[in-house]
Amino acid sequence: MQQNSIVDDCCDPPILEVNNLTVIRSGKVVLKDIDLVVHKGEFIGLVGPNGSGKSTLLLSLLGVLKSHKGSISIYGNQPSPKNFFGRVGWVSQAASYLPRQVKLTVRELVKLGTINAKNMFSWSDYGRSEKVIKAIEMVGLEDVIDADISKLSGGQRQRAVIARALATEADFILLDEPLVGMDRNARNSLLKLLDKLCHDSGKTILMVSHDLTAIRQTAHRMIFLEEKIRFDGPTNLFPDLETLADLRGITPVHDGPIHFHSNEVPWASEVIE
Amino acid sequence: MVLGKELMYILTPLLEAIAPFIPGEVFPYFFTMEMFQRALISAVLVTIVAGLLGTFLLIRNLALIGDGLAHVSFGGVAIGVVLGATSPLYYALVFSVFASIMIYELQSREILTGDASIAIFLTGMLAFGLVALRIGGGGITTDIEGYLFGNLLLIDESDLDMIAYICLFSILILFKISSGLLATTVDPLSAAVQGIPVREIGLLFSVITAAVVVSMVQVVGALLVTSLLVTPAATAQLVGRSFRSCMIWTQIFGLSSVMLGLYFSSELETGSGSMIALVAATIFSVVAILHNFKFFSIFTKSM
Repeated sequence: MQQNSIVDDCCDPPILEVNNLTVIRSGKVVLKDIDLVVHKGEFIGLVGPNGSGKSTLLLSLLGVLKSHKGSISIYGNQPSPKNFFGRVGWVSQAASYLPRQVKLTVRELVKLGTINAKNMFSWSDYGRSEKVIKAIEMVGLEDVIDADISKLSGGQRQRAVIARALATEADFILLDEPLVGMDRNARNSLLKLLDKLCHDSGKTILMVSHDLTAIRQTAHRMIFLEEKIRFDGPTNLFPDLETLADLRGITPVHDGPIHFHSNEVPWASEVIE
Repeated sequence: MVLGKELMYILTPLLEAIAPFIPGEVFPYFFTMEMFQRALISAVLVTIVAGLLGTFLLIRNLALIGDGLAHVSFGGVAIGVVLGATSPLYYALVFSVFASIMIYELQSREILTGDASIAIFLTGMLAFGLVALRIGGGGITTDIEGYLFGNLLLIDESDLDMIAYICLFSILILFKISSGLLATTVDPLSAAVQGIPVREIGLLFSVITAAVVVSMVQVVGALLVTSLLVTPAATAQLVGRSFRSCMIWTQIFGLSSVMLGLYFSSELETGSGSMIALVAATIFSVVAILHNFKFFSIFTKSM
């Protein structure tokens, strides 16, 4: 509830404003009438089942997917890489796809985040090395700064990719399924890191995940997406499983409580005994 | 077209100066006789630029594109021969650049995956050349065999010019775009979000690869181009600890393959291209075995 009041009192213009966004991909309506406003300092969890349009929404926000109806404005501009640098950071699922055929150190990977259309042809450093070290310290990888990324654990690799996004000095960070393939400890410490980035460094975070339980522990605001936005509100008001099924239009199969008929399944009695 | 001449003018005094220290009976000719000097300079040039490309090809999973484009170039050479061209390599250049751009487009539009599009162009354009050669020319002659297996000593002044232009331009462009190229190779979507022109860089890289492959055809031969494009870079991955150190190791392995290959081929009177490829593969095997015994960990800590 507290989150809502912050948003209401906020006088800054919103970072992201989406109006009536509809996306049709190969004849199928993937997103329909999406309205979304994101303010500075929010930590938003975007959840939804597979094929619910989460990735489509992200790609539209990033300006990669251009064919859509409705309007998107990020920092008051149309989504386009030209307006993004130093503002919008992207953490792709690529952490698990990072090249393994060649050697690349954490430092080298993170440094790629400091390249943009303007400085990519220049020889000069423009203080990029310091930005890289700062970003690596923020994610706590300074011990493995010169280690080859293929030697890192899944969690460390994901942190390296986040550091790459931080090195762009972006304030608005979008993450696509950063928790995939991580064990419990790595997941917890990554969520802690994201929480710290939001509170201590003032970053705005939009994170896509289908790990509902994990994201509920961290995000301030939850959005449930399945073609349309089915729920958008503070995390503590996020519906329980039955209401969620109702929201998604999943009807109950059984009339009453679910019974297990042990005598109808031949092996069941053996198991129970 | 004077770049080749200029290079010879600058480098021949250097080569002649170190000639007395060069071992072997025939090998020293590479440092004293003009025809051999041209061969040596071309071989070193293509090795340097092939090494620069190799690491990027490995990340892009395009290890065999060199082989594909070399076959395509051979198709181009065949067409050039049929049409009676004096330098059939220019036809090879056109064929190779066209195929490389098409392979890139098929991949980036996700019409076909990397390997399949390479395979189609490799066979299709090679077949085109062979059919044309059978109908219009006299089939495969010894002249044409030179393009298949490489013939260093047939490199004349205009060939060296072409090789020098291609290599120097490619090295210059690669140095200029290397950071953007690495970013687009590692993660295209992130690179696009950062405003790096992913498509333009990809196309430029394809054109450079195509041109470099053509410049390599006469040096190592169409069948063995991959040996200099990929083998040194792959060997470097076993030893290096970072992208930068792998780039340096690639040059070390590539240049030693060429020098040892030329030495053995001239002393044992074998084909230079095949000997270079054999040396490169041998270096890879030796390094791979030593790597398994952690031999290199002693002195790679500093790199």
